[in-house]
Amino acid sequence: MNTSVRIAPGLVLKNPVLSASGTFAYGEEFSRLFDLGLLGGIVTKGLSLNPKEGNPLPRVYETPCGLINAIGLENIGADAFISGKLPELRSFGTPVIVNFFGSSEEDYALLASRLDVNGIAAIEMNVSCPNVKQGGLEFGRDPEVLFRLTGAVRARTGKPLIVKLTPMVSDIGAMAQAARAGGADAITCANTIPAMAIDEHTWRPVLGNVTGGLSGPAIKPVALKLVWEVSKKVDIPIIASGGACTWNDCVQFLLAGASAVEIGSASLRDPLCFTDIITGIEHYLESRGLDSVTDLIGKLETP
Amino acid sequence: MNDVLAVVKGNRAVARDTFLMDLDCALEPSLPGQFLMVKVSSSCELFLRRPLAILGQGEGTLEILYKLKGEGTLELSRKKPGDVLWVLGPLGNCFSPPQNGESALFVAGGTGLPPVLALASRVGSGALVIGARSKGDIPLLDRMNSLKGVAVYPVTEDGSLGRRGMATDVLGELLAGAAGPCAVYACGPRGMLEKACELSGVAAARCEVSLEEYMACGFGVCSACTVKTSAGPRRVCSNGPVFDAATIAWGAR
Ligand SMILES: Cc1cc2nc3c(=O)[nH]c(=O)nc-3n(C[C@H](O)[C@H](O)[C@H](O)COP(=O)(O)O)c2cc1C
Ligand code: FES
Repeated sequence: MNTSVRIAPGLVLKNPVLSASGTFAYGEEFSRLFDLGLLGGIVTKGLSLNPKEGNPLPRVYETPCGLINAIGLENIGADAFISGKLPELRSFGTPVIVNFFGSSEEDYALLASRLDVNGIAAIEMNVSCPNVKQGGLEFGRDPEVLFRLTGAVRARTGKPLIVKLTPMVSDIGAMAQAARAGGADAITCANTIPAMAIDEHTWRPVLGNVTGGLSGPAIKPVALKLVWEVSKKVDIPIIASGGACTWNDCVQFLLAGASAVEIGSASLRDPLCFTDIITGIEHYLESRGLDSVTDLIGKLETP
Repeated sequence: MNDVLAVVKGNRAVARDTFLMDLDCALEPSLPGQFLMVKVSSSCELFLRRPLAILGQGEGTLEILYKLKGEGTLELSRKKPGDVLWVLGPLGNCFSPPQNGESALFVAGGTGLPPVLALASRVGSGALVIGARSKGDIPLLDRMNSLKGVAVYPVTEDGSLGRRGMATDVLGELLAGAAGPCAVYACGPRGMLEKACELSGVAAARCEVSLEEYMACGFGVCSACTVKTSAGPRRVCSNGPVFDAATIAWGAR
């Protein structure tokens, strides 16, 4: 049986299960719980050029079947990651995919070139952050802006480039096309959904940042539909992100058109879920008499 | 740290809205101050685990003490003997015991009793100040009183048990009256901890606080629980929960 999937030239994952950005830190803590060599890929916390502090507490709040977070992209910065975390992280033999973000096009491009080092298998560009130069609108909401940003980053890196889209657009297919035209090798679809929580007793927002992003199984049906839409519009591989908790969820994402699935919030609840999911997918393939995970990708039968 | 299946042995109310749960559970040995992330429901509707301090640990057994604060702890209070729960732990760091002849002053308020009582039981000497709104809010008074060598000072806001006032009022007096060096160990509401830190500073006593913050993972991967300290941002779950009180930036949140 073959569980491997191809995401980009030079980026083949041994199985379609990855960690997600922001729920796996830089891998150290999880490496004390299980062998990271079992994963298809490791996606790091989002990095910026310089270390960044996060938002005021509280930064998370549980809602039915999920959580709202407003961590604020707290991270140690690219240099500290490369010198302090990457050496151990790459030793597991699992591709290390570095998630990153910036506040201007130059920021993104400079960071991409900084991340063009040995041991990093690919970079995942988070475009759900405000574009300071364009009046705070997210890079991921305007196809023109996203096309230019992707092109600028593409020109500065030899690594496979994955663009992680925001779900907050009216036509996600158009955003995927813009990223592809700009030179993206793959698309991650999608990210948290903007949300908030209010305390009716104090009349105040619960989160220190007032608003945050919803994740977890609550958003899975939304993510499934987004993956399906994107898969109809672009021919490059799609990595699903949004609510996957079980092997069943992963198979559904594969059928909708994803080549791999990131497990985020589920691993906060169940840090050992990765191994169950991977063996679950294997058993499923076996029970259906399928030779390869690729036999599932995009095989949704619509009436 | 490991994720282990625990079997509920007992689960009973021991004070107002406060429950004591006994578990059969093969957890690695823990130290006072460490905690668990408890999966309160197998349904993902209650999505996150709840951080709960370890009150006691024996050969294959665990004890946790929790207050009803929301849906998670309500769900926990419904568990019956024989029910099973996943617990991830032991998590976080621990208190450092008294050193160089320090006498220990334990201070607990709100939901802060478990780690402080775990430490007081281990140290076996000093004074324990337990603050609460009212007499009915104080659990495990018998157990505290049975600690030989530990003097127990209940303090209630309504005066229904022990002194009327705040736990830190008594802490201030104990610090003022101490003959030698003291180590203060506190867990409870942030205001109480800040006050304990201030009083300890004045008395030149060492002060360790166990912080309680909203957590998502409990083992250092999500940055939900980061607090500001003089050594930079620190995650309460994995760099703490116990911190040298003097390093906490109390004003910042
Ligand atoms: C606590 C937390 C932190 C996150 N941090 C990042 C981040 O730094 N960069 C990013 O692109 N996505 C981040 N995300 C989004 C996740 O990677 C993922 O896309 C989203 O949570 C949906 O997937 P899930 O339901 O499996 O969690 C974060 C999510 C959570 C819950
Ligand atoms: S709760 Fe996730 S880092 Fe502390």
